[in-house]
Amino acid sequence: MLLEAHHLTKTFGEHIAVNAVDLQIEKGSFTALLGPNGAGKSTTMNMLIGLLQPTAGQVTYDHTPKLGVVFQGSVLDDILTVRENLQIRAGQYRHVPADRVTVLSQQLGLTAFMAQRYGTLSGGQRRRVDIARALINEPDILFLDEPTTGLDIQTRLAIWTLIQRLQREKQLTVILTTHYLDEADSADNVIVIDHGRILAQGTAADIKTRYAADRLTLTSPDVAQLAARVARQPIRRTANQLVFSLPTMQAALDILTANRPLISNFEFRPGTMDDAFLALTGKEMR
Amino acid sequence: MLAMIKRNLLLYFRDHSGVFFSLLGALISFVLYLVFLKQNMLTSWHQMPDAKPLLDTWLIGGTLAITSITTTLTSLALMVTDKEKHIADDLTLTDAGPLRLFTSYLISAAVIGTLTQLAMFGIMWGGFYLTDGLTLSGTAVLNTLGLMVTSSLLAVVVNAAIVQGIHTVDSLGKLGTIIGTAAGFLVGKYIPIGALPSFAQSMVKFIPGSYVAALYRQFLMDDKLKSAFAGHLATRHTFERLMGIRLNWSTLLTQQETYLIMGLIFSGTVALVFGLKWLQIQRRRQYLRER
Repeated sequence: MLLEAHHLTKTFGEHIAVNAVDLQIEKGSFTALLGPNGAGKSTTMNMLIGLLQPTAGQVTYDHTPKLGVVFQGSVLDDILTVRENLQIRAGQYRHVPADRVTVLSQQLGLTAFMAQRYGTLSGGQRRRVDIARALINEPDILFLDEPTTGLDIQTRLAIWTLIQRLQREKQLTVILTTHYLDEADSADNVIVIDHGRILAQGTAADIKTRYAADRLTLTSPDVAQLAARVARQPIRRTANQLVFSLPTMQAALDILTANRPLISNFEFRPGTMDDAFLALTGKEMR
Repeated sequence: MLAMIKRNLLLYFRDHSGVFFSLLGALISFVLYLVFLKQNMLTSWHQMPDAKPLLDTWLIGGTLAITSITTTLTSLALMVTDKEKHIADDLTLTDAGPLRLFTSYLISAAVIGTLTQLAMFGIMWGGFYLTDGLTLSGTAVLNTLGLMVTSSLLAVVVNAAIVQGIHTVDSLGKLGTIIGTAAGFLVGKYIPIGALPSFAQSMVKFIPGSYVAALYRQFLMDDKLKSAFAGHLATRHTFERLMGIRLNWSTLLTQQETYLIMGLIFSGTVALVFGLKWLQIQRRRQYLRER
């Protein structure tokens, strides 16, 4: 394991932000910390990076790692140009080749606005510069704290593709926090956190099978008769439709074949990350 | 460290309105003095020869001392801003190390302090040259230039000791207002130290900036004093004590003694400031070793 956290706990006064979190991060893996606002994602990440001292518990790296971090807010200077910002950060590392900033700007597609002030960039351009900054020292692990929050869907997709490409091409270990559920879908390892505790852990598929029910919607000319013939209680019933929540696809198939003459139309929707997330974290707002 | 110093200086000088107001802040007390107090002082000095150039150089000395204090304090605000905006978190991830980062803030503040004093000196001397025909000797100018560097370094470490206890830009701004207002009186710029009650006189002697102001005045006024008080050494000493040109401990301090006192204050504050920083870093290290 490249990184292990054991019983990681952080309290702020009475408030427990992170509660006995255990984590294992494998080299080259892609981990998403998923949770609603205030779940303890950022606090966990700051402890992994070493910026925040845990109240209890330990973080162990298997060797001194080179870290790259994309922070939630901007940490570059608005009135300096992109090149100045990156060059100044590069100057603060030992053993960074002189052409590193140029190489990065080409890899991440920054060349068009290298001479522009950071403060005048669009949200997506800024994010790419932030990622370039995090990659200056060729890190072993890249941490990203909500890298796509507040970006439009096209930019989110572009940033996401970029991160995945980096992970693949550079064998980077990536750990990121997000509250966009669709993003967690493509991670190797999803960790759902709420109230500082890990609620579920595994691949996105695992979590969906375990926590998200499939949904079968049946349209029928005779709803009453159909309802009587199915042993399960529908979760919703209208004049011509019945909706069932089912644990497996097999159960849906059974209902469909047994009641074929009574069904005029149907819709089957496998459980989504949203369903799993809501099932795990509840519906109230933070 | 060089990269970091470059960043701090770029951030300061690229913000043109910031530079302008920083200069104006230093200039305003000077202008107010000219408008409201200069005539009053000249009237009370009417029996003295060369009153104008003496008062002009006296004023330049006091203003430069104030400038070193206020501009270095404003420049150190970057340290607080970086902490508040979590830029410091990003910087600590680099190989630069916390002690070097800290030093680079101090060095860039000292550079800014020196350059602003240089600009102020040019403006004030130019102004007095045009109005009163003020001239200065080469030695006086050289000594003054050297003192700009020394005074900035001294002001930076003294201010750094204060700024270390401050965590928000807002409270630093309020502190800046307090220091900016008080400094003019505390280093005896507006009212000569000799005209103050004895408690206030002792207070002035506790402020490092007073020694800077005294040295500036010695360098700038020397020629004028020599000709104005030719053959009246005792009167000259009384004048120097009253005007804060030389501060009085048990006897009037010589230039060497004044420099020595400044050196001691400087070394003491450097030890304090870096000692505190070092302790802070050690505490952090301890935790890092645990994991």
